[in-house]
Amino acid sequence: MAREKVVENYDVIIIGGGPAGLSAAIYAGRARLKTLLLEKALVGGLATYTNEIANYPGFPDAPKGEAITNLMKEQAKNMGVNFKLTAVSSVQLKGEEKVVETFRNKYIGKVVIIATGGRPRTTGGENEEEFLFDKGISFCATCDAAGNTDKHVVVIGSGDAAIEEGMFLTKFAKKVTVSVMHDEGIMDCNEIAKEAALANPKMEFIWNSVVKRFEGDEHLSRVVLKNVKTGDEIPVDCDNCFEFIGYLPNTEIFEGQLPLTRQRYITVNEKKETGIEGVFAIGDVTDKWLKQIATAVGDGAIAGTAAERYIAEKEIFDHKIMQCEKPGLIYVYNAIDAESRNFLSEIEAIEESNKGKIAVNRIDTYKSNGLALKLELDQVPAIVITKDGKVTDKIYDLDSSLISAKL
Amino acid sequence: MKEVMLDCLGEACPIPLVKAENKLKELEIGDMLIVQIDHSCAMKNVPEWARKEGYNVEVEEVDDGEWEVIIEKTK
Repeated sequence: MAREKVVENYDVIIIGGGPAGLSAAIYAGRARLKTLLLEKALVGGLATYTNEIANYPGFPDAPKGEAITNLMKEQAKNMGVNFKLTAVSSVQLKGEEKVVETFRNKYIGKVVIIATGGRPRTTGGENEEEFLFDKGISFCATCDAAGNTDKHVVVIGSGDAAIEEGMFLTKFAKKVTVSVMHDEGIMDCNEIAKEAALANPKMEFIWNSVVKRFEGDEHLSRVVLKNVKTGDEIPVDCDNCFEFIGYLPNTEIFEGQLPLTRQRYITVNEKKETGIEGVFAIGDVTDKWLKQIATAVGDGAIAGTAAERYIAEKEIFDHKIMQCEKPGLIYVYNAIDAESRNFLSEIEAIEESNKGKIAVNRIDTYKSNGLALKLELDQVPAIVITKDGKVTDKIYDLDSSLISAKL
Repeated sequence: MKEVMLDCLGEACPIPLVKAENKLKELEIGDMLIVQIDHSCAMKNVPEWARKEGYNVEVEEVDDGEWEVIIEKTK
């Protein structure tokens, strides 16, 4: 028996509450847009999985990721952003009213900003599913490190997360065994982390290895690795296993609606626009080079601002420029171009001689070209004539008599 | 349909998850389990685990750093 869903309207709906989503929320909230942020679990996203953030500018004491994102959350709340902690079950992104549904609510937004990030990739080793959550396999050292005091843990991976979090684990565990896919001495992490890890007496490395299977009764008790060169099995008895082998983008609910890369990331342009008008995507879910908190908040700033611009321009476009009360004349020009600037006086003369009979609008593309794009012009300057809210003519010659004849 | 409160305040991972798993086994389909937590680590596994099991989940932040994870046993 399905319950009637409660419908709520927003200017901006942000899906995902990591640094990218929070930054977009701060910008949208500050622009006084009615903003909703949907987060399925803990606000802060992947950043909350990191114990020390040493490279986010402004925080010289390397705080926990959560400490930084909690401040972002507070800032967004101060801007009047609404938070709702629930998962999105489906979206309808096309059209003017975008629909985002959760199991109890239906949210309608003018703009949707996708900031769904990624989730940890799993090894695909045998029996992996049986030991997820509290059964021995973890993806978050910050969360589960304390429970590993004096224990032996296995870390899978050799990237920054694997090595830095692995070193953090040595503060608790008696031994940390790291499974690295590459030849001896080759790791995917930065050089500083690599040096420190190799010098750490509690860390042991098993080179050329990947996970074959997980074993244990109720709880994980052994990780069986496989040497990728010889195929030999290497059983490692342990108490817990931490996997840090990258992330998969959370794009399942957008499949078929948005263009995705082969690896399922969302493609965006410089303004974080996706293939659908009014839908933006930011942060780790997008196809980008560097995935950091610093770049995520940059993405959020762009999308929050672009969303505000989009809504404002759409409002002007629908209600003022494409008005249907009178025949319309739209002059699209660039204020830094002398010729098109000079023609403004001619436009004024036409407006004067048709006083009260036509509606004249001027669009300066120097400030923003969004409206010109909506009019689908081949070039600027241009004059667009409308009747009953529809475009009837596009004139690219700055010729008063030609324009008057078309009115 | 009943609502059951599960107090996990002050408990760190993985205790809230283990408690929630056990409690949910005792409940009937249609019942609601409300897990009270104040360790953010539990926010990373309790909702995700419950959704993976196929239950409906919603979280209320009742105070700064204090949450109620509402799980509807749907099957």
